[in-house]
Amino acid sequence: MGNNAEIIVIGGGIIGCAISYYLAKRGADVICLEGSDHFGNGGSSRNGGGVRQSGRDPRELPLVMYGIRNLWPFLSEELDVDCEYHQDGNLRLGKTKKHEEILTGLTERAVKAGLDVKMIDGDEVRRINPYLSEEVTCASWCPTDGHANPLTTTLGFYKAARKMGVHFLSGEKVIEMRKVKGVLRKVICASGNIYEGETIVLAAGYESRAIAGTVGIDIPMQPAMLEALVTEAEPPMFDQMLGTAEADFYGHQTKHGSFVFGGSSGLEGFTKDNGTPVCYAKTAPCICRGIMKYFPDLAEAKIVRTWAGWMDRCVDGVPVLGKVEEVPGLILACGFTGHGFGIAPGAADQLAELITTGSTQVDLSALRYDRFRAKI
Amino acid sequence: MNAVNDRSRDIGPFIPGTDDDILICRCEEITKGEIRKAVHDGMWTMTEIRRYLRTGMGLCQGQTCAKLVKAIVAKELGISPAELEPATSRVPMRPIEMRIFANELADKKEDGQDGK
Amino acid sequence: MKRYDLIIVGAGPSGLCAAIEAAKRGLNTVVFDENEKPGGQLFKQIHKFFGSKEHRAKVRGFVIGRQLLDEADRAGVKVVLNATVIGLYQDKEIVVKIGDGIEHYKGDAIIIATGAAENMVTFPGWTLPGVIGAGAAQTMMNLHGVLPGKKVLMLGSGNVGLVVSFQLMQCGCEVTALVDAAPRVGGYGVHAAKIARTGVPFYLSHTIVRAEGEECVTGVVIAEIDSHFQFIPGTEKHFDVDTICLAVGLSPMSQLLKMAGCKMEDNPKRGGQVPVCDEYGRTSLPGVFVAGDVSGIEEASSAMIEGKMAGIAAAEYLGYIEEEELKKELVSLEDALNGLRQGMFAPENRGKRIETTEEGIAVSENLLEHGFITEEEIERFPGITHKAGIHPVMECTQNIPCNPCQDACPKGCISIGDKITSLPVVVDGSQCINCGMCVASCSGQAIFLVEEDCGDGTALVTLPYEFLPLPEDGTKGKGLGRNGEPVCDAQVVSVKNNLAYDKTPLLTIKVPKEYAMKARFFKAL
Repeated sequence: MGNNAEIIVIGGGIIGCAISYYLAKRGADVICLEGSDHFGNGGSSRNGGGVRQSGRDPRELPLVMYGIRNLWPFLSEELDVDCEYHQDGNLRLGKTKKHEEILTGLTERAVKAGLDVKMIDGDEVRRINPYLSEEVTCASWCPTDGHANPLTTTLGFYKAARKMGVHFLSGEKVIEMRKVKGVLRKVICASGNIYEGETIVLAAGYESRAIAGTVGIDIPMQPAMLEALVTEAEPPMFDQMLGTAEADFYGHQTKHGSFVFGGSSGLEGFTKDNGTPVCYAKTAPCICRGIMKYFPDLAEAKIVRTWAGWMDRCVDGVPVLGKVEEVPGLILACGFTGHGFGIAPGAADQLAELITTGSTQVDLSALRYDRFRAKI
Repeated sequence: MNAVNDRSRDIGPFIPGTDDDILICRCEEITKGEIRKAVHDGMWTMTEIRRYLRTGMGLCQGQTCAKLVKAIVAKELGISPAELEPATSRVPMRPIEMRIFANELADKKEDGQDGK
Repeated sequence: MKRYDLIIVGAGPSGLCAAIEAAKRGLNTVVFDENEKPGGQLFKQIHKFFGSKEHRAKVRGFVIGRQLLDEADRAGVKVVLNATVIGLYQDKEIVVKIGDGIEHYKGDAIIIATGAAENMVTFPGWTLPGVIGAGAAQTMMNLHGVLPGKKVLMLGSGNVGLVVSFQLMQCGCEVTALVDAAPRVGGYGVHAAKIARTGVPFYLSHTIVRAEGEECVTGVVIAEIDSHFQFIPGTEKHFDVDTICLAVGLSPMSQLLKMAGCKMEDNPKRGGQVPVCDEYGRTSLPGVFVAGDVSGIEEASSAMIEGKMAGIAAAEYLGYIEEEELKKELVSLEDALNGLRQGMFAPENRGKRIETTEEGIAVSENLLEHGFITEEEIERFPGITHKAGIHPVMECTQNIPCNPCQDACPKGCISIGDKITSLPVVVDGSQCINCGMCVASCSGQAIFLVEEDCGDGTALVTLPYEFLPLPEDGTKGKGLGRNGEPVCDAQVVSVKNNLAYDKTPLLTIKVPKEYAMKARFFKAL
């Protein structure tokens, strides 16, 4: 197989794999390059598995709603892998007056954007999920939200795309993109290999910033390390996705029975690492204390793994998607800011449509690169 | 590490084996056949296999099966097991109850005790 | 946060040795171990160790464990038990589970001495209750006093498989067969020989086809394999057993190092994934050291020396000793370590087929293929001499680093010389006084005292007998050959169990004189 294709996708996370899949489905010829040794090695495999609309910025809400309506329910069958998709609602929990204000604001905005979401009180929360402690006084409730398994979903896209002929390479770290006669065309790798395509999709998470910089594009985003943990399998307790008003804690029970929870210690954004995302000794104990406040019944559940991952945090909290006028041939798909999993199928499908037809069903204009302006 | 790995390389078709139903990962009950099939689905690293199938993700964290899985994957790929990097090790080394993990003793006691 | 000069993870032989050396040099040292008892595998080792005096040869493992704990105590080492180190984080921070909570500690230096875990092999039925690791069997027997099973098949003829097989018999189990896929016995020949002479059959080039049973193991089928490890049809053999013991190697438990970002390598010669380190245990992370099996599978004797090296290296790293002292100390420890890494079983010889001894004598092929030396082969080794009167017969035929026998004889009858791996020879003109010290001192139980002709048509053979019940004087039975087959009638004429023998009783049997060089074990009728 050669190094030329119609489309070169940089990044083999869920975004890159899903774009490759939806492009291949539309008959395009694709090469997908992953810098690390494994497909789905970044946030794609490290997130909490939320597939939710509630709590999202109205600019990205239509895209995730599109995915939940048209793609997620059929994904397991389509990819021939169990994505473990559950559409049993999302409870975004609050304990204080301040939380209630945050949740009410989010809910009002989402309702305006057409989402079925409402505020409920503590008693109603416990009718939906009887395991939640009395500390919970309110929540936003979105019944069409849910969760899925990020590992099998990401690798499912990879598997299905590979089967359809997408040429995947791992360990192929892109260090530079280059224009030819005014149009983006070349992708240069650390290995010395050079790939050429008519369209180049940049979906390399926070590493996209450095790669985009080689063609003079600067995406205002930074890596931020987040941590999560998983318990041993427990008897089935509840099916909802959970989050909190301050987004400091989230999780769900998986099909396997284990609970996956993400959380924070308060040091996020100011941590250090050794070149790979590493856990902080203080974080997991803090997440455990947080979980037990919400779910006293989980006190005896055993933690079997903790992990960390970088998110690509964009300055305004929503991804950068679509074409870039200054660099014809470039498609950006990065900056998902830690909530890129649930939106991935919708975003990938629409970008594939954009690449193959020039237009999209969902309006992506609010997520374009040219949105970044000074505040005054 | 970071050697270019072309996932379109032909590793031949999946040929069912007589011992495909043998359990390899006891904690998560994953069979040899499932592991072999996963390789043909494109899962070519120990990390991908683990994420795809859950091998080594149970209570023992792969203490028992890691080498076994590796040998199966290597054979399927036609490479030496030493060429496959083992999956990441993660805290905790032993499963630990949430209540215990949450309980930081430092503030309460001056020094380490033997817990008796 | 509480900080120590040195935190050691693992209170096994290497961890304790490291702690002793570091504490002696002034380091504030703590050792954490997840078990309720310290000593790692040492307290499971009821056999006498090999080596020389400096390696604590002929001392039983659990006694070495006690000695180390005493030394650690005297040196001021703090050993915290029931303390599981669950993570090694950045900045040399560890999190330890102690009781119902966790503690954070930092060490200016850290030594990881977490040892190894057992490998498994798969075959249909391998997950049935009754299939256990040899180390697990040893833990059950020797730490908890629980019989692992009644009839046991052992897979694996390395030293672990051989030693544990012997211990299984000592605690009253029947070892039905010893099986290995390799064409030759992997462990010390002397360990194999002491099992074979009790009648345990060896099946080399064989492996397990399947374990039988619905709820638990009720039997096993083995078959011969060809050079491509494929079963040869028609060679299946069935045994009724309730336990299948697997002794198929160990893997370093190096997870803490990997999670801390230590540079790792996959090294089959060291048993799997190990940290990249220098010979003194320094890893890619400054101040993080390793010692013992976690950096490569070896014997406990080597682990102890590696532990000492790491402890001293940590002392130098933290400025408690000068580099000069470090270098001086390491030279002698390296000599000791090299002493252990010599001979036919040296790491460099792993996987090699050795055909002659250092003395130029053809090795016993039968010992390698069946676990015992034939009568034709035995005569060519220097430990075997014939003369009038009582004299030692040393059936020690492989070059292994071990020499307690030459020190054991008060009359200087036995010589190994300066090279610790040399085969023992009987010193010309020396006079055996039948004290039995050589027999009891031999960790391989390969020395016998023989009076080939008592003048009445009989001969006397004195052999080590570490089994209960001890036969009484006058007990009649059979003399068993090296292969465990009955060869002649035999009668016990003396049973000695002196304190100096350190629990290796000596049985003297009277046999027809033509069996003086054939009868090597006793079985009461």
